[in-house]
Amino acid sequence: MKKIFLIIGTVLIALALAACNPKPAPNQSSAPPAGEETGELVIYSGRREQFIMPLIEKFTAETGIKVQLLSGSAAEYALKILDERNNPQADIFFANDAGVMEKLRLDGVLQPGDPAVFAAIPADFRAEDNSWVGLSARSRVFIYNKDLISEAEMPKSIFDLADSKWKGQFAITVPGSEAMISHLTAIRLLFGDKKTEEFIKGMLANKPAVLKGHTDIRKAVGAGEFKFGLVNNYYYHLQLLEDKDNNVGVIYPDQGSDQMGTFVNVAGVALVKGGRNPLSARKFVEFMLKPEQQEMFAILNYETPVLPGIPVHEIARPIDTYRRVDIKLSQLGAAWEGTIDLMEKAGYTQ
Amino acid sequence: MKDNGCNCSPPVRHGEARIFVRAVTRFRAAYLRRGNAPSPELPLLTLAVAAMMASPVVYVAVRAAEAGGERWLRLWNARIPQLLWSTLSLTAWVAALATVLGTALALLVERTDLPGHRYWRWLLAVPLVMPPYVGALAYIIMLGPTGWARDVLGRPPFPLYSLGGTVLVLTVFTYPYVYLTVASALRRFNRNYEEAAVSCGFTTFQALFKVVVPLLRPAIGAGAILVILYVLSDFGAVAMLRYDTFTRAVYFQMTGRFDRAGAAVLSSILIAITLAVLWLEVWTRRRGRYYQTVGTYREPLVIPLGKLKLPALLFVLVVVALSILLPLAVLSVWAADGIARGVLDARFVGYATNSLKVALPASLLAMALALPVVYLKSRYPSKFSAAADRIIFAGYALPGVIVALGIIFLFNRYLPWLYATPGMITAAYLIRFLPQSMQASEAALAQVSPRLDEAARGLGTPTGRVLWGVILPLILPGVLAGGALVFVSALKELPATLLLRPAGFDTLAVRVWLQAHEGFYAEASVPALLMVLVSLLPLKLLLDKY
Repeated sequence: MKKIFLIIGTVLIALALAACNPKPAPNQSSAPPAGEETGELVIYSGRREQFIMPLIEKFTAETGIKVQLLSGSAAEYALKILDERNNPQADIFFANDAGVMEKLRLDGVLQPGDPAVFAAIPADFRAEDNSWVGLSARSRVFIYNKDLISEAEMPKSIFDLADSKWKGQFAITVPGSEAMISHLTAIRLLFGDKKTEEFIKGMLANKPAVLKGHTDIRKAVGAGEFKFGLVNNYYYHLQLLEDKDNNVGVIYPDQGSDQMGTFVNVAGVALVKGGRNPLSARKFVEFMLKPEQQEMFAILNYETPVLPGIPVHEIARPIDTYRRVDIKLSQLGAAWEGTIDLMEKAGYTQ
Repeated sequence: MKDNGCNCSPPVRHGEARIFVRAVTRFRAAYLRRGNAPSPELPLLTLAVAAMMASPVVYVAVRAAEAGGERWLRLWNARIPQLLWSTLSLTAWVAALATVLGTALALLVERTDLPGHRYWRWLLAVPLVMPPYVGALAYIIMLGPTGWARDVLGRPPFPLYSLGGTVLVLTVFTYPYVYLTVASALRRFNRNYEEAAVSCGFTTFQALFKVVVPLLRPAIGAGAILVILYVLSDFGAVAMLRYDTFTRAVYFQMTGRFDRAGAAVLSSILIAITLAVLWLEVWTRRRGRYYQTVGTYREPLVIPLGKLKLPALLFVLVVVALSILLPLAVLSVWAADGIARGVLDARFVGYATNSLKVALPASLLAMALALPVVYLKSRYPSKFSAAADRIIFAGYALPGVIVALGIIFLFNRYLPWLYATPGMITAAYLIRFLPQSMQASEAALAQVSPRLDEAARGLGTPTGRVLWGVILPLILPGVLAGGALVFVSALKELPATLLLRPAGFDTLAVRVWLQAHEGFYAEASVPALLMVLVSLLPLKLLLDKY
């Protein structure tokens, strides 16, 4: 009897070891002293992988630091970082949105950064303790199909989405989208819970198509499934550059003098507390903020760089040419969870 | 694992250890005095396996119970009624259509003079190797809002992202469950009943529907239960087709919100539905028993189709086209495009290697763990072994999303040194697929006479040696077949892999999902096609199972 258990036991242990193999060292609860890093920067990313990969490859080529990338949804990895607070795995969190990064900072899972690195970035695009920083700005706009609706006919305010005139004619993202949650948080901060809830209910009463992501929306609008959709501005640029279904236009909403302005969010990086490669993480942030990389955001992904003075793509609108919502992005974090509750109360759920 | 591992378990003092060892020795001696008892390691190991299989469910249930009345109430008001409706209506539609389709195909292939029925027999089972999320990908490429059909017709023929579209996709990839169970029952069918009916004035056709089909009810029911369990646990296909079911809701509750407790609440309802279905299965089997006298088996009657031959052939052809030919063609075209664009690079090899790194240990462990558990159940049947068996098989019916949720909770709290290693994925595979390996080993063990190991034990050979030296060599083909099934299932597994993979550890299944989501169909098709091709290899084993 003993023999078989010896054999099974040996097999189990060998396999467990084999399974652990790709990870060089078992976790330690505290970060090792500087200089003893694992040599593999771990990045949790909510950004599109095709966009992130060239930047990461360039970083590895320039610094020799290897990167382990986990690509998926930013909200998922935000939650993962919270789950792992006693056993941190990631060094860097790449997010699509300031609200989720600030929420993590308030929950105490981010590591304050060196102010010297961030000095060039406008203050409303970074955390007060520099634990996260915006890398590129994205504005919340309407993309519309020019075959189906003219610019003059298009709604001009975000609140028009609650107008029954547009019933069944537009698409929005699933409520899990951080861009949507942050956008609604901004509306809440400006207009209060009651008005925001009414707006969400009115919007949902119009039975919009609720799609998984902005890519689905831009493709659906381009294909003529819906007249228009609410997306981040660079999705409009991406659709414009498609081979087909590219007869689309854009509306930057709420530009009137009595209106709130277009909501502008940032995608950025956050430093995870307890990450095992703090030096490499700092190098990575510095790398991302260099003008060359900032240009890649503008050229590769048609976003707006946060570093002033970087030229944007010819089809994009520079950030200082339209009215923006007057809110500091770091205000979003504290109100974030309240917005999710409000969305659920109003029936805007997955 | 390394020297710093000691902070995980407090060192046991020598005195305590000695008392413990003495107690165990005494217990073991008392136990062995009971006559023909298995050596105690066997039930202990079974207990450990059952505990491992049940742990995620127990943990999810505890978390759901702790979630608090307010959260339950909020989810109940906002989510649950609508989710119940969408999940149950999808399940009912798919189960009904797959049952009709599978039964009709089985009757056609096994009992009529359908031309080429020897080829249809296995071709109709092939969709089983196609993961439904890969099938969904093929259908999205063909019929989706920006698919081929739209390019040809100007607009998609019908909305694919709907209940109807989801029912279509799931039906064409799940009917083989019914087809295979019914076909296998038909092959064992006793001709006497039909002849009796015919001699009483029925036509062969009437006899088919009045005598044969009613007697097939257990087989049809068993197949339908498999379809229902599949639809309840499917994540990839429904998520790709944007149809809301409990599994998708659990996934988004986990990933989209800062609310794991809410995910546990939704999971517990899904577990309850699954258990209800399993109970239904037991209940229906108890209610009706159909005995067929053995020993008088003769070749079944073949029904001539006559004028119906051509329509019947067309029908089978349409099913084969919808479930195999079209999806494979679509994937091949895109995969060729992808390969031409250089998808098969070093990175791709890495994804394939990662798939192997988690699927292979899972399959080996499943073989190693199944053997002692199955041996105990078959040679020393008792209430304990039956209960353990039930628990282990319940794990099989569990959706991968829930297994992943339980494993994240457990590893994060109790096994932090294994957290964020591929070991988590392997553990999930084991929980999901161990029963496949057990079924195969059990079937093989049933062929070995207990006299043989009794003789070996009578000569004083310890149980472990008997298992290793006598039993294993005899049932090795069956054990390996089970291992192959586990390997293929693990290769295709999506939801748990997606949620549990550490950074930099993408597998083929994960790549299909990620690329398809971004609309990069060429990049998604290459790993999808590779998985389907690898899964084809153990198809024969799969067919023998039924």
